[in-house]
Amino acid sequence: MFDDIKRFETGSPQQLDWFRQLLDGFLPDGNAADIRAVPRGSFPMINVARSDDTVRVYVFAAGLAPSDLTIDVQDNVLTLRGKREPVMGSNEDGSARPIFRRERASGEFVRAIALPDGLDAERAEARHSHGVFEIVLPKREELKPRRIDVQAA
Amino acid sequence: MNNVVRSSNRSPLQQRGDEQRQQETETLLPAVDIIEEPNALKLVADMPGVTHETLKVELDNNVLSLEGEIALNMPEGLSALHAEVRGQRFARRFNLSHEVDGDAITASIVNGVLTLTLPKKDSHRARRIEVQAA
Repeated sequence: MFDDIKRFETGSPQQLDWFRQLLDGFLPDGNAADIRAVPRGSFPMINVARSDDTVRVYVFAAGLAPSDLTIDVQDNVLTLRGKREPVMGSNEDGSARPIFRRERASGEFVRAIALPDGLDAERAEARHSHGVFEIVLPKREELKPRRIDVQAA
Repeated sequence: MNNVVRSSNRSPLQQRGDEQRQQETETLLPAVDIIEEPNALKLVADMPGVTHETLKVELDNNVLSLEGEIALNMPEGLSALHAEVRGQRFARRFNLSHEVDGDAITASIVNGVLTLTLPKKDSHRARRIEVQAA
């Protein structure tokens, strides 16, 4: 479903702009120019989706138990706070173990994201499964789509 | 011991075509930590949304490959507003050295974090050598 966004972004809009394509070839990290890009290694990653009556936020936070993530909503800003413990890199006697790679984020984190208007934070719910948190924010009643019947004259 | 595990999936930049770039956006590279323990290597990979059922760990000819589908159950009729995770699957491959005992690898996945223990072969374990008095 999140492929929808990608579809708009792939495929160069200026087919004839060979110079830009040449530059892209030299700077292969296409995400750098993307307004929605997040710095590499941001933790946790967030996807937001909308349906007719809810906005759903998916937080990809591997390794966090439900109690490790604090979720706050205030003034349409969703704030996620938490802490992830690094993998132990030392022996019982305190000497450091060799670490060959350390790519996973660890330590405390805070991320905030603006939500669309018109959500009812009172009725928000959150679920957790396999390292992904799903936050469901229902839209306020008056903002839900409604059909208007045309009356015969 | 430094080249025990080498990542093999970084392709040379000049060979990247459009097709390959497309592939990259769909398959995500999980972040990993690799730590040496006295008798084993420990590999920890972040694969949020991957379950025990959708995870595949394979060892072929000293190439260890990790693959996992992101299994989210999302209702129908959603449209994306913002997407940082743009892909449905994680995949990454590693070349293992001959020091790893391929038959004894164990794996577990908890809360989307895959932990692999790669035991060293007996001949490569750390051992203490007693110094005898002359």
